[in-house]
Amino acid sequence: MSQLPYKTILCDVLVVGAGGAGCRAAIEAAKHNLDVVIISKELLGKAHTSMAEGGYNVSLGNVDPLDDVETHFKDTVVGGAYLNNQELVEILVTDAAERIFDLEEVGAVFDRTPEGKIAQRPFGKQSWRRTAYASDRTGSEIMVTLTEAIRKSSVRVFDEVFATKILVHDGRAAGVCAVDLKYGDYLVFRAKAVVMATGGAGRIFKVTSNAQLDVGDGYAMAYEAGAALIDMEMIQFHPTGMVRPESARGRLVTEAVRGEGGILLNNRGERFMARYYPQVMELAGRDQVARSIMTEVLEGRGSPDGGVYLSIAHLPRSVIEFRLESMIEQFADAGVDIRNEPMQVSPTAHHFMGGILIDTDAQSTIPGLFAAGECTGGVHGGNRLGGNALADTQVFGALAGKNAAEFAKEHGLPPVDRDEIRDEFVRLEAMLLRESGISPADAREELTTLMWNDVQIFRNEEGLSRAVKELRRIEKEVVPNIKVDIQVKRFNPGWHQAIEFGHMVITARMVAEAALMRKGSRGAHFRTDADPNDDGLYNIVIRKGDDGEMVLEKRDLVITKIPPP
Amino acid sequence: MATKMFKARVFRYNPDTDDAPHFEEFDVAYEPGMTVLDTLLYIQDKYDSSLAFRWECRGGQCGSCAVKVNGTARIACRAKVDPDDGPLVLEPLEKMPVIKDLVTDMSRVKERVRRIRPYVVRDKPAPRPEIVHAEEIETLREIRKCIECYACLSNCPALRETWDYAGPMIIRQIARLELDPRDVEDRIAIALDESVYACTTCKMCEDICPKSIKIPALAVELLRAKAVEAGYPLAEGQQGFIDQINKTGRSVPEKDTPLLRSLESEEFLVDNPRGRVAFFTGCLIDYRMQGTGRSLIEVLNRNGIDVIVPKQQWCCASPAFRTGDLKTAHDAARRVTKIFEDVADKYGLDTVVVACAGCGKTLREDHRPFIAEERGEPPRFKVYDLAEYLIDVIGKENIVPPKGELDLEVTYHEPCHLGRGQGVVDQPIELLKMIPGVKYIDDPYKNRCCGAGGGVRAGRRDLSMKIATTRKEQILATGADMVATECPFCTIQIGDMMKGLDVKVRYLPDLLAESYRKGDEET
Repeated sequence: MSQLPYKTILCDVLVVGAGGAGCRAAIEAAKHNLDVVIISKELLGKAHTSMAEGGYNVSLGNVDPLDDVETHFKDTVVGGAYLNNQELVEILVTDAAERIFDLEEVGAVFDRTPEGKIAQRPFGKQSWRRTAYASDRTGSEIMVTLTEAIRKSSVRVFDEVFATKILVHDGRAAGVCAVDLKYGDYLVFRAKAVVMATGGAGRIFKVTSNAQLDVGDGYAMAYEAGAALIDMEMIQFHPTGMVRPESARGRLVTEAVRGEGGILLNNRGERFMARYYPQVMELAGRDQVARSIMTEVLEGRGSPDGGVYLSIAHLPRSVIEFRLESMIEQFADAGVDIRNEPMQVSPTAHHFMGGILIDTDAQSTIPGLFAAGECTGGVHGGNRLGGNALADTQVFGALAGKNAAEFAKEHGLPPVDRDEIRDEFVRLEAMLLRESGISPADAREELTTLMWNDVQIFRNEEGLSRAVKELRRIEKEVVPNIKVDIQVKRFNPGWHQAIEFGHMVITARMVAEAALMRKGSRGAHFRTDADPNDDGLYNIVIRKGDDGEMVLEKRDLVITKIPPP
Repeated sequence: MATKMFKARVFRYNPDTDDAPHFEEFDVAYEPGMTVLDTLLYIQDKYDSSLAFRWECRGGQCGSCAVKVNGTARIACRAKVDPDDGPLVLEPLEKMPVIKDLVTDMSRVKERVRRIRPYVVRDKPAPRPEIVHAEEIETLREIRKCIECYACLSNCPALRETWDYAGPMIIRQIARLELDPRDVEDRIAIALDESVYACTTCKMCEDICPKSIKIPALAVELLRAKAVEAGYPLAEGQQGFIDQINKTGRSVPEKDTPLLRSLESEEFLVDNPRGRVAFFTGCLIDYRMQGTGRSLIEVLNRNGIDVIVPKQQWCCASPAFRTGDLKTAHDAARRVTKIFEDVADKYGLDTVVVACAGCGKTLREDHRPFIAEERGEPPRFKVYDLAEYLIDVIGKENIVPPKGELDLEVTYHEPCHLGRGQGVVDQPIELLKMIPGVKYIDDPYKNRCCGAGGGVRAGRRDLSMKIATTRKEQILATGADMVATECPFCTIQIGDMMKGLDVKVRYLPDLLAESYRKGDEET
């Protein structure tokens, strides 16, 4: 096929993704007197960050004065089952305070202590009350604030633009290929430095708390570009997702419910966490609570709809109404008044601990390609503490933005390979032109069901082998035959899903292949057939080999302060 | 059990290939609890993957999915489907150019947001940590919940007529910043520049807001009050009302003999009463619609209710509450409370009936919380609209049926301050349907603003007339002979619009009284 028409947009720093990390990176980069462009699949302000509810971890000690960065560091590493890159954790816990003050400086409104400081609440596996919050819509507060800050800044926003491929020239990031979702035009963004801030991929699972856009675009694009990824097998299943109605299945029920004192009950009315983690009860790690709930359900002690009960009926109404207002609204839509009745909950795919491998400059293994937020790996190890993700977006967003800006100042604009661009747009166009093939909706259904059945909370060799085999087949047979049923480029969700499907398959394969490689249980990765000889104290790094095959290798942990016991 | 199906009519338009928009109808399988978003996803999955609409979080947190649902904009993920309510009609938001199907271009709104400096403006670096007390951000916290779904912009009657007005969402953001102790920008000047006085306080925005933000009270009226406090003058027409209230206790000048002065007594008692109420007339019934006042007394008496009409009454000062003159407003609230508490004590009653939507809303939503906060106890009487009192207190089955036949096709205009202001929606329609011979014609837009409220008729007559013209066309489209309503402002406003046309405008108590009287003649 001949060259398809496209338009090229030049800038100094390109940020891909406009959630918490992307916006923060763009704002930081723009401080360096550079032309910064941010592109986003969704409208500015609508990113998944707005759905984060509970809070932002920072050891300010406003409520518990004994808290400090050392304790936050320790809690994070212990919570992460010692798989965290401790150099990155150091950055997270050290910078979290300045970054939350940055948010306040540009207008964020967090809830207060009686002294007028930022209030902090308890969250799972933390030694002190550390989680700053704005009711139970903390992510929304941060997203709104960052949107305001972007509107103040000189950043150029291209929203509803979908990046499909990272361009690499002579081993250096050079920009991305993209589609304008509104009108269907092909675009090329060229930049001196690129920041990936594309979020997670909960949508590869049938039951997820994630927004529809979280399909793993960044993982797949980085992989295809040759960057290394780490810890992809580590998926956090949030213990409390909604169970019904069916259309709300998987929607997040914030950890703040348990943080404020909510208790978990089985169908016999037993507070079953006493059986599993009597010391910390409902505030055990997310992986631990999720497995406890699933065990209750699998052993017949669950609710009729396949969950357990989460009750706050014993809490003062004023606490519920002031600190859990979104939950009241969310369950009212499902016909449940949580002030009087228990919620039904069960685990839901929530967060990717793994992702693009970054160094302490937030740079990936490709020079000029930076990354921040959920699309990166290493900060959270085998399990992320509730409240550490919002902090991650701000700390590493700012770091990536700053270093991308400095990189852009030191380097010129790299050339691009026009054949590569042509091939990419031909690939996208082919999905529209194909005479016959598989519909994106059917393909997606097959993939998400496979992942939910075989790569979920309880994993074993048989299921994982099956998943890997199936995913390799899907990659070879389904992806090249995806067909959009209506040949329209102007705002065509069928086409968008077809493009996303390719990203989902690559992401799913990385998850399943790494999970198969890890024979023991560690962090969120739990094998029912765990090999007792595998202590699990390593990371798995994935990259695309020179032959185009997926290469996985074990790597030593990065330890600075706390060696595993 | 067979799956229940319903029809969804969806707006389709691809400007690249279609000459004009059209509707496409789909059969959708109903599931209990189904939302509009579920419906759209079902259609996309089963029939047409190219159907364009926006969505992300499916949980009311991102604000992506607002569309017009049966004429009113809402976020799709929280709008429930009623499969028995005829076809579900889905259209794109108003005021926004269509890109394709239900997806609209938001760029104008984004520009409008940007021009108000929509962020905390500081004149020095923030201290770290910065001390901000909870009480300083209490109201701010309420109006901060906006997720920018744009639904309120699509439904706003003022914005519909002109982009001179920034619209509810943006006015809310100005108030959010005005309330922020850290912001140093002159937000009052910006609010005035963005036409904060264009809002009719119809509360359509509040009604459909997924976060239930009270934009008229917490943003519009707050900014107006601050503008007045800062010394900005009201429009001439608005100030005229205020001066009149302070001078005479009535917002309008006297013309014919007022109702209160012409009444022979303040007591209208019946034999064997089943209830006793005081009648708060309001300015317009006293000074302009004396007949309506007499009708109200008659209707209540005929239903066995003693009516006490205090001879000394005072304006509720709705014009002052709406336009921001809080001194006049609060003085009136204290005075009205005293008058009616004295009457309640003297006559042993605890109920006040109003027939003016604006007065009723003001007594309930403005006086009550103000008095409660000032003296720690709310007014010692309950307030009911006439229709609400008849249906809910007397009871539909106990109402003496009006007998006189009125051979009319009647539609209803719901006053904003009655429906959304007091939650009185169905009662007036039930009363209309009780009148023999009346054929009630439903107007799908019956709850749209006529443009009279919020000081807009007094201060921005041009805009008020544009809103009224839109409303007139909706009423005419019903084909009814008559439009009945329950508010003097709406009656006057719509009456002006219908001049020279065959459509009559009637106040509900008059219509009821007419049927009663005609019934007397016939027997």
